Amino acid sequence: MSATTGSMSLASHLPDGLGHTGDHDLLRGTARRFLSERCPAREVRRLAGDPIGFDRALWRELAELGWTGLHLPERVGGAGLDHLSMALVLEESGRALYPGPLLASALGALAIARAASGGQAGRLLPDLAAGRVIATLALVEGSSWELDAVEAAARPVEDGYELHGEKAHVPWAQVADLLVAPFRWEGGLSMFAVPLAGPGIEIEPEVSLDSTRRLARVRFTGAHVAADARLLAGGAVLGDLLAPALAYLAAEMAGAAGAALDLTCAYARERVQFDRPIGAFQAVKHPLVDVLIAVERARSLALAAAVALDHAPDQALRAARMAKVAAEGALLFACDRAVQLHGGFGFTWDCDAHLYYKRALASAATWGDALHHRRVLAADLRRLAGYAPRSGS
Amino acid sequence: MTNPDPRELPELAEFRRDTRAWIAEHRPAAPSFVLPQSFLEVETREQFDYLRAWQGALYRAGLVGFDVPREYGGQGVSPERAAVVSQELTRARAPFLVNLLGLRWAGPTILAYGTEEQKRRLIPPLLAADEIWCQGFSEPGSGSDLASLTTRAEPDGAGGWRVTGHKVWTTMAHVADWMILLARTGPAKYDGLSYFLFPMKTDGVRVEPLVKMTGEGGFNQVIFDGAPMPRESLLGQEGQGWRVAMTTLAFERGVEGGRERGAEDLALVWRVADLAARARRDGAPAIDDPVLADQLVSLWIEAEAIGVSALRMRVPGLVADRPLALPLMHKLVFTELAQRATRLACQLLGTEAVLWMGDARAPDDGDWPRAFLNSYGFTIGGGTSEVQRNILGERVLGLPKSK
Repeated sequence: MSATTGSMSLASHLPDGLGHTGDHDLLRGTARRFLSERCPAREVRRLAGDPIGFDRALWRELAELGWTGLHLPERVGGAGLDHLSMALVLEESGRALYPGPLLASALGALAIARAASGGQAGRLLPDLAAGRVIATLALVEGSSWELDAVEAAARPVEDGYELHGEKAHVPWAQVADLLVAPFRWEGGLSMFAVPLAGPGIEIEPEVSLDSTRRLARVRFTGAHVAADARLLAGGAVLGDLLAPALAYLAAEMAGAAGAALDLTCAYARERVQFDRPIGAFQAVKHPLVDVLIAVERARSLALAAAVALDHAPDQALRAARMAKVAAEGALLFACDRAVQLHGGFGFTWDCDAHLYYKRALASAATWGDALHHRRVLAADLRRLAGYAPRSGS
Repeated sequence: MTNPDPRELPELAEFRRDTRAWIAEHRPAAPSFVLPQSFLEVETREQFDYLRAWQGALYRAGLVGFDVPREYGGQGVSPERAAVVSQELTRARAPFLVNLLGLRWAGPTILAYGTEEQKRRLIPPLLAADEIWCQGFSEPGSGSDLASLTTRAEPDGAGGWRVTGHKVWTTMAHVADWMILLARTGPAKYDGLSYFLFPMKTDGVRVEPLVKMTGEGGFNQVIFDGAPMPRESLLGQEGQGWRVAMTTLAFERGVEGGRERGAEDLALVWRVADLAARARRDGAPAIDDPVLADQLVSLWIEAEAIGVSALRMRVPGLVADRPLALPLMHKLVFTELAQRATRLACQLLGTEAVLWMGDARAPDDGDWPRAFLNSYGFTIGGGTSEVQRNILGERVLGLPKSK
């Protein structure tokens, strides 16, 4: 019966214990300590006001901790760990609102690891794993989040390609060395790894809503790239990138949501009105519990989506869409209550609530917002419920 | 679906096949009368006998009491098998286990606090549904503020006790052999409470049925007028009742969660999805309506999240910063999910949503509006959603007490 097909749960595809080991604990503990020390709120604020917004010394330190190559194979200098490891580190970087290309570069590197030939991987990945080279992933051009809505094109020329077109909202293009993006090529799409320097490439910073994740437009006007800039298995890989991108982003958002909740709870414990801490009032307490429920749901789904990438690849994209939807809901809700429950102070520049809220709003609109993914999930649900739409509908 | 987990251990997969086959062969034929939707609404003798026979059959087939040691009539094997049975019963939409209150709340509490004699005497018939359990906690004046209760247990001078007072919302009391009873043995609000295993078939106790808003029965009020209890009725120490009762409530709220957690929630969501594929609204299949489909997606995501949270909950490193959050929120999350799911189901019925059980044209025999109204039994019973939010706010978020 159709309804029982649908009832195969995501959990039933995942291993007991979620593949978690003591090493994961160590990694998360290190990440939380390091970021609270080296990337506290005042540092986030300082960088948010900085023209570039990125601290290269801090980047080198986290590269030395191995975070830039956690998920890359050992033969190219990575740590060869699972996606859960990267998700845990990204959850912590989200908590800290770390302003830097950890997420973007991790995904750019992952795209190369999956799509490149052995020679390309050997040439590009060691520097990415070591953090000497920063990558970014450019998945959007115009008004669509659909991965194949690509107009930028690669034209074959002698000894390489000439690139034309424009990528929008590219995270950290200002500081990245390598852009990974799909281009039209021979009637289809292929992934390219393009050095972000040289003639024919123009990087125009955007004014980012979230100043802890800088964005730029990258314009290609006949930029010349070498033949091996085209990643060999590139077309097929594009679709497979969405699951890790959403799972990683969801982990980062879930981390930020937890931090926004903690911020508000700390205030609700201390702020006294009517002779008692406002957290004693159920009008404050109960909504914070609802935020807690949303945050824990988002964390569970984000981690599950990361585990699915390794242990249940055929479930990973759906899990990742669910994780993005849940993380977006949790983060926006946590920020909504953070501003409101801080009262007048919550509305000011000095309260950290707006830092999280801007991260929330910008992350919501990254790689498909909840409405976008819910539409896809609704189609999945119709199919799993055994409902075949009439032709034309 | 032939196997819900492709990586399942071979012996567990074999057990699943055997269980599925056994259920298919032995499940009772659909009765001529309306069955209750949960153990909260068992009203008539024929409903009770039918359900009791089913639990007895399951027990005799070795499918009940996996985590209970053999000396107390259980299977004494890994609880994974309990998860398999639970999943297979859900999958087959087989009748529920009628002595659920005994299996999930009274039994585990007795195993935790009982004497050897209490465990040997009480657990085997509890598993077999030969003896049925009810719970005497709430009183007319003591709901959310449970510890304010006034029912007294007084020494009878011969080592036993006499009970005087009034309990309400007592599910199954009309058929129960035993009650887990929280009663006052001293004046101190918390330390004056003791926990008893009260034999219901005795003088001085009167059970009066209460009618639910659906018109169904199943719960009662129980009036004690010096009802006698023997010495061995006390569970744990005198004055320890609050702590024992909190253990029962933890079981009742599903604070301990097994692998099966989430399976029932997901099964409910898919039943609603299945309804959406069948139902028509405004001349079109309901599932074509993007607004309704979107609401189903929300429920789907939440039900999947319960399942993966159950996995995460058992990995200490993945819950280290708020270890109590997932266990303590479970009751709140799944009861409110069920409430919204059954309400959405009513909406899916469109014009037919006005029909109640008993009308031959009522879709699915009127199950959906009945299930929706009955869902309040779960958001109120076992500690209201509001009390759950206080507990989470105080114990997990560290917010000050509300009083």
